Amino acid sequence: MPALETFLQAIVNGLVLGSFYALIALGYTMIFGVIKLLNFAHGDVYMVGAFVGFGALSLVSGVFGAGWTGLFIAILISMVAVGFLGVIIQRVAYQPMLSAPRLSILITALAVSLVLQNGALSLTDGKYTAFRTDLGFGGFEFGRLFISHQAIVLVATAAVLMIALEFFVSRTMYGRAMRAVSIDKDMCRLLGINVNRVVAITFLIGSALAAAAGTMAGAYYGSIWYFMGFLIGLKAFTAAVIGGIGSITGAMLGGLILGMLESFGTQIPWIGSEWKDVFTFAILILVLVFKPTGLLGKSEVERM
Amino acid sequence: MKNGMTALASAVALGLGLSGAVQAQNDSILIGVQVPTTGSEATYGQDMYNAAELAAEELNAEGGVLGMDIELINGDSACDPQQSVNAAGNLVSRGVQGIVGGYCSGATMPTLKVYGDEGLPFVITASNSTQLIPANPGNAFMINSTGADQSKKAVDFFESQGVERLAIIDQGDSYSQDLADLTAERWESMGHEVVRETVNKGEQDFSAVVSNVRSNDVDAVFWTAYYADGGLLIRQLRQGGYRDIIAVGDGSNSPQLFEIAGGAAEGVYAFSNPTAEFLPAAASFIENYRAEYGQDPGPYAPLNYDGLKLLAWAMEKAGTTDPAAVVDALASADGESWLTGPITFTDENTLARSNFIILEGEDGAWTYSEN
Repeated sequence: MPALETFLQAIVNGLVLGSFYALIALGYTMIFGVIKLLNFAHGDVYMVGAFVGFGALSLVSGVFGAGWTGLFIAILISMVAVGFLGVIIQRVAYQPMLSAPRLSILITALAVSLVLQNGALSLTDGKYTAFRTDLGFGGFEFGRLFISHQAIVLVATAAVLMIALEFFVSRTMYGRAMRAVSIDKDMCRLLGINVNRVVAITFLIGSALAAAAGTMAGAYYGSIWYFMGFLIGLKAFTAAVIGGIGSITGAMLGGLILGMLESFGTQIPWIGSEWKDVFTFAILILVLVFKPTGLLGKSEVERM
Repeated sequence: MKNGMTALASAVALGLGLSGAVQAQNDSILIGVQVPTTGSEATYGQDMYNAAELAAEELNAEGGVLGMDIELINGDSACDPQQSVNAAGNLVSRGVQGIVGGYCSGATMPTLKVYGDEGLPFVITASNSTQLIPANPGNAFMINSTGADQSKKAVDFFESQGVERLAIIDQGDSYSQDLADLTAERWESMGHEVVRETVNKGEQDFSAVVSNVRSNDVDAVFWTAYYADGGLLIRQLRQGGYRDIIAVGDGSNSPQLFEIAGGAAEGVYAFSNPTAEFLPAAASFIENYRAEYGQDPGPYAPLNYDGLKLLAWAMEKAGTTDPAAVVDALASADGESWLTGPITFTDENTLARSNFIILEGEDGAWTYSEN
């Protein structure tokens, strides 16, 4: 049953792609939620995460090896380091702009993106860096359907991270504060919530998730380079918009939808893989035209 | 400035009808080496110049050509059309009796007319654009195979491996798409099946391609673009459970491919220009080159070495340095062989045989494959 195998393979591919998109889209959506900023530097934070993860893996591989243990420790190191980088970016570049017009802070985000990209460019000379692990190419094979161990672990890790985030946002004090800040910042200040700290924590978590995605992508695809964040950043942004920007569940859903869409779209006969990006941006336009709030987004209600 | 003065002097001499006298006074044979020794491709150009120098030294040590020593003049083309025309004019005015070289096709193109007007024999050693063929007035000979030859080499190889259904994956740029088109056309004309895929440059996720390759049950995959994305593709093909033949074009012949593909590049085949380390005949050439210049010969050095030897052979065969006679002798080359294999030309003055060699990935490096 080749058709069934192809169908299942497309689901597996879509899950892998969707996990990356969702993890990055979460950062977009959370940051937009608390400070209404489309953080276009987020894709580059993902790229920095991949490089930090690469460096961390070469540091720890002496002790823990370059297999799963080493990789998970590298992911953790990268999440912590890049999480704090996110906080620094927020403090240096965005905090002073918070009361400026929306357009100014958007342009600042583009500037941060350029700084990160060109920083990586000058450090690596624009070369591809091979991301070596000892994970091998094993997997489960059912006829023409092939599910690699790496794909399984990757999707599972992404799922665990997302469940943890959902728990954090809905059950903890800072999670509640985060939701409150996204609704009304001034009222939160009046009620004694430390808004700056909440914003910092949002950047910390969003950047850490992007770093995890970057490190996993590096290990999965095997090479990283300074420009890897650009396109995937735009796609994650699209995923956030599809799900309804500002909505955490929406970002996860949007990421998965986008991954599935690309994976199945390219399986249509006569449509080759070079059309992959076309699906993403066509759906972005469609969503913006017909349902600008996205699938799970709420329309803004002006309250008097 | 010095060159300018010489050019001026030569022009005056030509104007006075003394060019015959100038040539007759020479007790050595002047050969122009048209390679980019400055500019972006300077390292390749210097390698090529060194190889020609090595060939000239060997010839001179054996008594020269027609009893005269070979003397080389550097015509730096800088990989730039304008500069290469100036350099060509300069070489002509200094009375060269033949030219070897030609690295960047774009820079070689306008020099065809300069040398063509004088009827001078020109052995093109590295430029291989098929666009050079219609522009050739008949005095230039290409000893590096063209993209058409690479596609033929590829098709022959896949045929010999019993491949029936072939997946050809390119990147949409002119080099990779041209090679893919040529190969697909040839493969289909032989009654086989082709699965075509194009991927975007810089794309990291090839899962759609891998899935198409798997669901079409192809026997071999041919990647026609460059190593950076090729490494990712190879890795993901193996990671996605594809176990059959993978081959890559000369744009992927790089040690970096192994870095990026990791263990997945083991057993991958590559079609390549004849680089010295894989030419069985070039062992002593490499040794001499290292002794003389303290480094490895670059990828095009063997071709330029052969280019000079071929020109010298044609002069010996013609028994004179008269350009028309030497051009005729070149056209009659019949399996003359030095480092890169036997040289015979087609009616279009391109190499009759494909000089592409096949490499195979083994222990993280390319090795010569007898396939």
